Amino acid sequence: MVAPAILLLLAFFFTPVMLTGVFAFTDMSTSTGIGRGSYVVTPTTLRRLGDRGLGADDAEAISAASYAVDEAGLAAARDAGTDAAFLADIEERLTGETFETARDFELALRDLPSAPRSPRALKSAADLFGQSLVNHRFETRDELAEALAAHAPDVAEEMREALTDDAYTGAVFTTENFTRLATQPETGRLIANTALYVGATLSLFNVGLGLFLALVLFYMPKPVTGLFSTLWLLPRITPVVLYTIMWKWFTWEDGFLPILAEQLGLPAFNYMKGSVVTAWMTMISLNGFIGASFGLILFSGALRAIPLQQLWASEVDGASRLQQIRRVILPQLRWPILFVTSYQTLSLLSSYEHIWLTTNGGPGRTTTVWALEAFKTALSNYSGNLEYGLGAAMALVLVVVGLALSILYLRLFRFGDLVGRPRIEF
Amino acid sequence: MPSQNLLRGAAALLLSCAALPALAQDYTITVWAGGTGDDSNYRMDAIDMAADILEREAAIRGEELSITVESQAWSGWDDFKQAFTLASEAGNAPDLIVSGHEDIGPWSEAGLIVPIEDYVYLDTWPLSSIYPNLIDVASFNGQIWGIPQDAEARVMYWSIPALEAIGWSEDEIASLPDRILNGEFTLYDMLDALKAMQDDGVLEPGMGFGPRVSNGPDYWQFYQAFGGEMADPESGKLVLDTEALTGMYQFFVDAADMGVVSSTHLGMEWDAWHQNAAAGNYGAWHGGTWHYAQWTNQFGLEDFFGTVQYTLIPAGDENGRANSITHPLVYLLTAAAPEEEAAIAAELVAIASEPRINALHAVKSAHLGISEEETLVPLYAENRWLTAASERLAPHTNAIPNNSDFGTYWTAMYEGLEASWTGVTSVEDAVAEVEASVTQALGDDVIVR
Repeated sequence: MVAPAILLLLAFFFTPVMLTGVFAFTDMSTSTGIGRGSYVVTPTTLRRLGDRGLGADDAEAISAASYAVDEAGLAAARDAGTDAAFLADIEERLTGETFETARDFELALRDLPSAPRSPRALKSAADLFGQSLVNHRFETRDELAEALAAHAPDVAEEMREALTDDAYTGAVFTTENFTRLATQPETGRLIANTALYVGATLSLFNVGLGLFLALVLFYMPKPVTGLFSTLWLLPRITPVVLYTIMWKWFTWEDGFLPILAEQLGLPAFNYMKGSVVTAWMTMISLNGFIGASFGLILFSGALRAIPLQQLWASEVDGASRLQQIRRVILPQLRWPILFVTSYQTLSLLSSYEHIWLTTNGGPGRTTTVWALEAFKTALSNYSGNLEYGLGAAMALVLVVVGLALSILYLRLFRFGDLVGRPRIEF
Repeated sequence: MPSQNLLRGAAALLLSCAALPALAQDYTITVWAGGTGDDSNYRMDAIDMAADILEREAAIRGEELSITVESQAWSGWDDFKQAFTLASEAGNAPDLIVSGHEDIGPWSEAGLIVPIEDYVYLDTWPLSSIYPNLIDVASFNGQIWGIPQDAEARVMYWSIPALEAIGWSEDEIASLPDRILNGEFTLYDMLDALKAMQDDGVLEPGMGFGPRVSNGPDYWQFYQAFGGEMADPESGKLVLDTEALTGMYQFFVDAADMGVVSSTHLGMEWDAWHQNAAAGNYGAWHGGTWHYAQWTNQFGLEDFFGTVQYTLIPAGDENGRANSITHPLVYLLTAAAPEEEAAIAAELVAIASEPRINALHAVKSAHLGISEEETLVPLYAENRWLTAASERLAPHTNAIPNNSDFGTYWTAMYEGLEASWTGVTSVEDAVAEVEASVTQALGDDVIVR
């Protein structure tokens, strides 16, 4: 049993966490790509190097292009399978000529009688007679270094080194993501939002409402209990998209709540997005109703495990319902409450899908929580600038916080006692 | 020289030279288009039409060519850009992409797209007829990466009945575009007029101003209205003008304080905004030229020219200018396309850019054309809205910069706007945060003024 468990743990927890950990220390983004980068000298690279002391002459030498119709070029074209008639034309009419730009050379080639119809074929043939270094993708550092040395031998070696470094398009290792998270004021707001969201949802709904419902149902006749338990399960078993759409019908202009409010003379507007307070209330309730059913089931099960004799005995002693709950029931529900609290804290910390589909962190960014921001940063935003590295760093923070909280909960609720050996023999 | 390029080139040569005319060639070209709603189907359908023409031309040359075009339309941007980026990384990208020109920066750097100039002759018709400024917008790092698919202008729309109701004469309404262009009528004059409309009961409270409800290039117009510049024309570096950004944020905060727009306006639903715009519930609202098609086709706006005045975005103060941003979409060739498919796809793009075919998209979706010739196509020429927008707005438009770091700046700018508009932070703090995050992320590649 242990081996499969370890394998599953490895595949679904340690590997993703490890990858997140690695990505978190890179500047990986849409522009760098996920895989290995290439080496490209662009006008932007030259401009950047210009700021760091690359002379205008050097920049010109590097960006200079020349196309020469000579033996070497003709041989290369022959090897690449250039059409024989076209090649013959080139040899006959252009041998010995040189061209300053690709465009000039292409124009000359297009004038040849056997020039291919396809622009791509013609341009590919032109490339065989010499190339500009600028804007070419080199797969390895050595390839670029070699080409640079051949193309612009007069440029100082350290400048060529710097240029090669700057030309790398892939991701590099950095601790910048964590510096940024540690210094930006936005981090504080995200933490406050997340604390409010998790704290309120957990205390009011997942534990509070769940416990309240479980207690109320416990004292009700059996058939009623079954019906209500099933009803409270609906939010959990409804597909997320459908559930969020129902909340939109419920809270948007012309939805159920605003229409009701209008009848009662209360302010009626889009409660989900129209004000910060109602957006928070909507977001907490819609997540809370899902969590409440989870607590309800667990607490109901635990309540049934309490020996009825204890309740009868307390009633004989004259205890009221409240006293019964406080002195007899709640102490015996400590473990389920521990479990619901710790489990739901972790799941709320990392959940964003319901928020994304409803308030989407708005109005403005007032209901944006950590997990939603991590998701948007890494995977989904308007400008399409996906910052995988920063997003991974944010996710890693969640993993660390989650682990720390788990340990704290376990100590706080003395988990060791729960799983320890029973003191009496059965 | 790079081995991969050589291989690709060799493959292209073999394709063009060795392929015998008698061989039947079957190609499947896949196209994904972003930001494509019901009215913009010709972004993909034009490629379909081009395939038909190319097949017929091949038949006349005695070649057998069969092209199947498979297309996907994406209505939003977030999911489209995510899908394309991740599909590319996974090696499942389509051959052709229709996206905003600003994506050229990051996507070319990551090697997700290839320069289309390697596959077409830009000095041959119809590509030679495309406006040079649009070709510039599709260029990055000295290469032309895409072919412009449309252009547009972004517009400040005004409710004529509401202006009349607060006592504006016909002349005043008719001269508004010129007064805005000259800088005589500013954004703050606009707020005063909108406040008057609300105070007089012409409009519901909070409905005076109806800005765009989500992120978009539109918000850069307000930065420009206060004198901001997005990139330095000399060095190509991004520019963060803190004074202009302050002016812009403060304007929206002031608008919310005056009660002409809600402080929680951002994030509202598009449909609700369209309904209010088309029904004349706002005093002024800003959108794009293409919204005209949506309002008249889907939202029941009947007498556009009788009820709506349209102008540039007014200047914010004496430093800024009345302006409008154009955000051309471009056809981009992806690195995922095998060499032969890429060559065919590029030919299809060239054909799809012919005036008559592109005019179908322009007129149906109310976008501006890509060439002078296109404006002569009768369908286009007789369209009152396109002609009007071309004359009044198009000459004053500029585009956002192609720069692989612009996304970072843009995200920070919009987050600052959200934070200050909703009152989470003060304007000063929001600007300081943008400055801090942008300089931290981009270092020397951004100029702070």
